[in-house]
Amino acid sequence: MNGTWRLATVGLVMAVMMGALGLRLWSIQVTETDEYTAEAERNLVRLVPTPAPRGDIYDRNGKLLAGTTASLAVVVDMGLVEDDFEEDLAQRLAAFLDEPASNIMERFENANSGAQLILAKDLTEQQALTLVEHREDFPGVAVIPQPVRDYPNAELAAQVLGYIGKPSAADLERPEVKGTDVVGKAGVERYYDDQLRGTEGVIKYQVDAGRSVLQRLGEDESAPGNNLILTIDSGVQEQLQVSLEGGLAMARSLEMAERAEAIEEQDIRTRLFLANEEAQLEAQRAAIAERAAAAEASEDGTVDEDSIALETPEAIDEGAVLGSLYWGLPIDESGVCVPVQRVEVGVGSRTLLSGSRERTMRLDAVLENGSQRVAVVDIDGEQYEVEEGDTFATTLRVIAVEQDALVVSHSDKWCPVRSVGVVEDPNDGSIIAMASYPSFDPEAFVNGLTQSQWESLGTINAFTNFAVQGQYAPASTFKVVSYILALEEGIYPLDRPINDRTLGDESPAVDDAAADEAAADDAAAEGEETSTTTVPPSDDELLPLTSDTDLYNCTGSLRFRFNDGSSQVYRDWKRNGHGPLDLHGALQASCDLYFWEIALRVWNERSDETGINNEDLWQEWARSFGFGTETGVDLPFEKPGLIPDRQWFREEQRKNTGRVRSTGPWVGGDLMNAVVGQGTVLVTPLQLANGFSAMLNGGTLWEPRVVAEMVNQDGEVVDENEKATIGAVDLDPGTVEALRLDMQQVVNGPIGTARSAFAGFGPNVSSVGGKTGTAEIIKSTEDVQEVDTAWFVGVAPVESPEYVVTVVVERGGSGGRVAAPVARQVLQYLVNGKNWVTPLEAGAEAD
Amino acid sequence: MADTRERTQMSLLRRDRQLRPDLALVIPYLLLTALGLVMIYSASAPRLEALGVSPSREVEQQAAFVLIGFASFAIVSVVDLRVVRSWVPAIYIGSVVTLILVLSPFGEEVKGAQRWIQLGSIRFQPSEIAKLAVILALAMLLSGAARPMKWDRVARAVAIVAVPAVLIFLQPDLGTMLTFGFIAAVMVFIAGATWRQMAALLVGGVIATVAVFQTGVIKAYQIARLTAFLDETGDVLNTQYNQYQSQIAIGTGGLFGKGLFNGTQTNLRFVPEQASDFIFTAVGEQLGFLGSVFVLFLFGVIIWRTLVAAANGRDRFSQLTATGVAALIAFHVFVNIGMTVRVMPVTGLPLPFMSSGGTVFVAMSVALGMAHSVWMRRSPLVGERTISID
Repeated sequence: MNGTWRLATVGLVMAVMMGALGLRLWSIQVTETDEYTAEAERNLVRLVPTPAPRGDIYDRNGKLLAGTTASLAVVVDMGLVEDDFEEDLAQRLAAFLDEPASNIMERFENANSGAQLILAKDLTEQQALTLVEHREDFPGVAVIPQPVRDYPNAELAAQVLGYIGKPSAADLERPEVKGTDVVGKAGVERYYDDQLRGTEGVIKYQVDAGRSVLQRLGEDESAPGNNLILTIDSGVQEQLQVSLEGGLAMARSLEMAERAEAIEEQDIRTRLFLANEEAQLEAQRAAIAERAAAAEASEDGTVDEDSIALETPEAIDEGAVLGSLYWGLPIDESGVCVPVQRVEVGVGSRTLLSGSRERTMRLDAVLENGSQRVAVVDIDGEQYEVEEGDTFATTLRVIAVEQDALVVSHSDKWCPVRSVGVVEDPNDGSIIAMASYPSFDPEAFVNGLTQSQWESLGTINAFTNFAVQGQYAPASTFKVVSYILALEEGIYPLDRPINDRTLGDESPAVDDAAADEAAADDAAAEGEETSTTTVPPSDDELLPLTSDTDLYNCTGSLRFRFNDGSSQVYRDWKRNGHGPLDLHGALQASCDLYFWEIALRVWNERSDETGINNEDLWQEWARSFGFGTETGVDLPFEKPGLIPDRQWFREEQRKNTGRVRSTGPWVGGDLMNAVVGQGTVLVTPLQLANGFSAMLNGGTLWEPRVVAEMVNQDGEVVDENEKATIGAVDLDPGTVEALRLDMQQVVNGPIGTARSAFAGFGPNVSSVGGKTGTAEIIKSTEDVQEVDTAWFVGVAPVESPEYVVTVVVERGGSGGRVAAPVARQVLQYLVNGKNWVTPLEAGAEAD
Repeated sequence: MADTRERTQMSLLRRDRQLRPDLALVIPYLLLTALGLVMIYSASAPRLEALGVSPSREVEQQAAFVLIGFASFAIVSVVDLRVVRSWVPAIYIGSVVTLILVLSPFGEEVKGAQRWIQLGSIRFQPSEIAKLAVILALAMLLSGAARPMKWDRVARAVAIVAVPAVLIFLQPDLGTMLTFGFIAAVMVFIAGATWRQMAALLVGGVIATVAVFQTGVIKAYQIARLTAFLDETGDVLNTQYNQYQSQIAIGTGGLFGKGLFNGTQTNLRFVPEQASDFIFTAVGEQLGFLGSVFVLFLFGVIIWRTLVAAANGRDRFSQLTATGVAALIAFHVFVNIGMTVRVMPVTGLPLPFMSSGGTVFVAMSVALGMAHSVWMRRSPLVGERTISID
């Protein structure tokens, strides 16, 4: 055939085609076979992670505080469910779980394609069995024992334990944390998350292309986390929580009683007003003065300024303010004040604002004003136009203005809001109990809080451990720092018959003009101040007391004369004074004057000819007991507190933080405030407990801890959280002995401020000591809201202390009246046992 | 002319009744078929077992068609193609009619394409038969072609291909349509087309293909499937899933393969259409590179023998028919295996003699039988003197 070349051409083309296939096969099957093999493995094996049970948490006696129970859960591996089968599966599961199929379908749709979806927990054995038997009807569905966090004691030690939840963005930066994990969010659960979480396991399944499981290839078992043994004693903890709750209730009812009196008084005044307007106004002015004085203040005092600001004079002019103010404050069903209520009202509707006299709030309209929404509200006929963040009608604050609704917080900033307590062993820093009330049940977090739960618990900060996160002015409890300073340094007040005194510097409040210069040229200012101390002749004639037993005449007020002729009076909390007292009596009766005098001596002698520099003497003593820095306790979010000094003061002024006056230098008055735990001094309840522990144990400052040891699942101790010191103060044994005795006298002595609160303590009251404290309302800052704080720090037994009990009632009023009875109950429990705990009863009003 | 042909035929029938089979063609054919059955079993058994039916169900069905195919091969082998020649118009017209029937309500739709027709209990694919009809019709048309070929004959050849091609395109079955194009090109070339005519056909073919994509008969997902193999970074879970899994299966085979019934990809159904279009992946995974090349080699031998038959055909009709068969098999093998290793798009062309499917097997056997028949009546036969027909 003459066209053979054509056939040959065709043959060649076909040979090339076959050859090309051969080459391609070579490259796939010989050159790259490993890659394809690896890929096929991935095709074949599916890894299903199994969560590791979290480690348990026990108290010091082995009582379970947080455990892990296995709950049989229906887990749907979305990676094993084919898309077109989801609907079917949802239907079948719906019938099985007795839940609407639409719900299940919705969860399928929201789940990631590879997610392990937990559909139901706490399956009965029977249910689980049924599901396993009909496995082929439920492809991708498994019954897996799911570790579930269990807090068997509800609110017991909730803030110490913390809670667990979904990881935040920050948590996810830890390499071992995945988005589907749970992590500790607060408390020990957070601090020891690495110890508790354990190592996740994995089950390997062989699957086919239809993604149905063919067989189980093997399992790397999960390793449970380590168990924690806490230093907490559940019994003490429970007593503390009960007492704190009761204490807060008591503080509130005391507050309500005071208000009832005020309202009654107001009613009388109103009647008077109707009878004689002029006379009424006069009476009111008198009432202002009276109330201001009652708040331990006077027109020209530093402290009182704030007290007076509380009762704004303009408001008084409007008439029945105090009364109407109380009438409008939120109350609960039983008529007791509540710190905050959330109120929501829709457009055109009205709602009642709780209070001893209810008010009607009506939302008339929401106006769009550019990007801002303005709500037009009517409260008992009074019209307001408010935006988000506005405060109006005295007690209301706008949380949000929505398109058709207004959300406000109805708050009472005088209602006792919280009680906090710490029990520490002063011999090793271990925390025996720690709580703040209101509290929460960590169990609620296991299944996720509802929005309303979160809101209601969140507005009162129930999740926050105020023992380490709350910063308060320590008030008179802080007098012990100056007390120890006096004994150790031999610094006592000047002896004088009358408490009339020349202050060697400018009044903090009076002289603003000189402040700028002083701030600008501090060295010159300091020189000037120092030189002025020698000017007043009256002081030169006085000699200081030489020993702690020398008597000082506590008259109740201390008057300062300044170089410019002006004067200022500092008043003791007890307006008529305590009479002649030595150092010990001053602590027992909590005499302000005595300690102010110590501050004055430190101040006036801060730089003398002999080269001694006492500028930071008091601060150094305070810091040596751990104040002003974090204690390093094994709990998250600890706050440092604050010990103010000249440098800090200047820095705050420069940054204009609003925590200090905008002008004027650090003056003696600031130190005087600090010495009695007022002004800008801040401590956490834990710091106070730890500082007292150091003073009472002879000077060893322990690092507080809530975890005693970590134990693995076989019961072997993997890590002992041994006691550690963070500092030591060289104290004279006599000083320690004196402090113990004087604290004992606070409770037992005739002039002790906690004497009435401890009446009826039962046996061994003589081995119990303490110190009260009442913080005045201080100026609110960014960190600290306007609060008055009742304190008590107790100790037992005084001969060789084993427990230091610190109790704070925020906005609680007097320490001796409110905080001391709470601590008394806890000490009764500790010293005499549970059966000796007597009901709460308010103590006498004392600083 | 007619007389000469008559005489040679008579003398052939008379003088040499002993037709010897071409073992070099028959043995690869039998080997491929047998291997195909084993592969169909290995690929279908796990799925059938999972469905709770006999794991050998599919292979049994195929075996029945194999018997029919073998019988067809044997019968066609002994039939002189020149006898068939007079039936060609009827075969062609009948084939076109069945293609129209497929598109009518008689046709059956499977996986988005209307390719099947049901006759009583028999279901078959007219497009497979159309391939044979087109080969025969082209052979008949082109056997009378002048050298160099006239343009009008090229045009008639295009017309003969175009009618069934359009009908098949409407199913749509792009693979078969392209097969027609390839067969026509090869046969026109062998029949003596000039390079300009070949170039014109190529340009026309490209224009026709582009036009086809514009008509909208081919749906977007089908285009995506066709072009997916070009995309290296593409979506291996969707459009590329089949090919990707197939490529993995073949890749895991390595040099020697995982051994029969040990293919995880094959036996765990990662590769879809395993027994039909993707049967070669079972070979690649279980028998490895050596097995794959062996299969390629067997196809190579069959194509070689078919082309040799064409070279020795007793007349141009036989020569052209055998050439058409070679083109048919070569194109199927190249496109099918090329698809499993991702050098060709997914078009649904089965692997001759191996893929599961009755019509295909029988049609391919008939086609091979025609080529075999050409060989057995080759010129010159042993002891025969060379006669020049032209």
